[in-house]
Amino acid sequence: MGKGGRKVKLKAINVTKVFEEGNRRVMALQDFSLEVRENEFTVIVGPSGCGKSTFLYLVAGFEKPTKGEIFLDGKLITKPGPDRGFVFQEPTLYPWKTVLGNIMFGLEITGVPKEEAKKRAMRLIKMVGLKGFENAYPHTLSGGMKQRVGIARALAYDPEILLMDEPFGALDAQTRKVMQRELTRIWEQTKKTVLFVTHSVIEAVYLADTIVVMTARPGRIKGIIEVNLPRPRSYTDEKYLAIREKVLNLLEEEVTKSLELQRKL
Amino acid sequence: MNLNPKVLRWLRFLSPLTVCLAVWEVLTFFNILNPRLVSSPSYIMLRMYDLTVLNPTLLVYLYRSLYRLALGYGLGALLGISFGILMGMNRYVHWIASPILSLLISIPTIAWVPLFLYLVGIGDETVILAIFLGCFFAVVYNTMNGIRSIKKELIWASKTMGADSETIFFQVMFPGALVSIITGLRLAVGYSWRALVGAEMLASGISGGIGRMIYAARSLNDVNTMFTGLVIIALGGLLIDHLILGLLEKITIEKWGMVRRRE
Repeated sequence: MGKGGRKVKLKAINVTKVFEEGNRRVMALQDFSLEVRENEFTVIVGPSGCGKSTFLYLVAGFEKPTKGEIFLDGKLITKPGPDRGFVFQEPTLYPWKTVLGNIMFGLEITGVPKEEAKKRAMRLIKMVGLKGFENAYPHTLSGGMKQRVGIARALAYDPEILLMDEPFGALDAQTRKVMQRELTRIWEQTKKTVLFVTHSVIEAVYLADTIVVMTARPGRIKGIIEVNLPRPRSYTDEKYLAIREKVLNLLEEEVTKSLELQRKL
Repeated sequence: MNLNPKVLRWLRFLSPLTVCLAVWEVLTFFNILNPRLVSSPSYIMLRMYDLTVLNPTLLVYLYRSLYRLALGYGLGALLGISFGILMGMNRYVHWIASPILSLLISIPTIAWVPLFLYLVGIGDETVILAIFLGCFFAVVYNTMNGIRSIKKELIWASKTMGADSETIFFQVMFPGALVSIITGLRLAVGYSWRALVGAEMLASGISGGIGRMIYAARSLNDVNTMFTGLVIIALGGLLIDHLILGLLEKITIEKWGMVRRRE
């Protein structure tokens, strides 16, 4: 049992990831350990290049850790699978499938009968606010709409955990705020376990139950901050601002370090 | 003036051609261009009438060419796509075949024809083989590139959904490579068409074919038939490219927004 009596859903133990390019070795993560509790919204923030996206890729099974292990519901992660849903930074929709087709794809793979799959996909389309666009092809949608489809697609086959890799990073500021509000609404409806990666502190404090602040490369945990604010949150609320300040202070040192690291390269 | 965009496109395509044809007609009409050396649009039209309605030689010849083209192109496309996919997906195959391919691709198809004539003799097979090669290289190369350039995130996304390799191939890799495959198929029409005419000309004694018709007309100093042959070749290539591949493109990659509509 983790803190607050909730079950631990995801557990990473001493995860190290080294990338080798030619004769250069880059240590992206070093002895990184983390617990994500069930039905919680966990956000990882860190300076760019700290390995936060790498960690998400390891959880998804796209990459393998050099050392250490990651468990989902006590099962060791070795490869990608439908117990995890993934939302990419760039919308990664299939251009040759309609909105409905993209969302139904995962259900078709898992062998859900067509009628049932369509019903479930339509329910999700409605939930992410895309009713009327089910037969549209992705190239006709805006960036924000594409990410809504991405979220619906990852939720469609009901994964145990939703992994989100800076999903709003490519959106303009206004759309980004709308999407943060929408994601909060969707999350409150589903109460899915979410692991969300961002470099935006504003976003992290708005969305998270738990914020994990990472150090500059190699990424380790700098601090963990619980956010016990009611949702939907206000970006100007005093308590919100106080937590934001706390996270920013933790990060500041690391951002400076990260900049120095980049300068050295 | 408000014109239907479709009509406008046709106008834009046809008007420069019309001007050229008119100038050409006038130049030959007033003997500025020697009509014994250069045909004229009206003579070409007359000759087309002769060779189709009065005596269907042209149709018989064209049929022969199209038969060879269909076989050579069909085979080249089929094997080109299959082998291109294999090269794109398996790095060992790519590793072995890539240098060989880049060497062979620089040989103009027509240069193979004397060898084919020696190996398989004068007949349909030689021409078909030449067309096959012209098509195969263009298709194999583009298909391979198409497969290799698919974003890995698209494949990861399907793996996260639990897709097996068959699903990944048919629902992700193949449609993902389709832009390149169609580009290859379009290029291949041009190459095949050229290989066809060239091989037919080199294979003296072969029966039928547009290339043969032009070549035979030369020995009779029949300028009008030679020009008629050229016009047929130009129109044929254009029609195949536009009607068949243009349509294929419209119902797939253009609809999916993977290529911009061509104006």
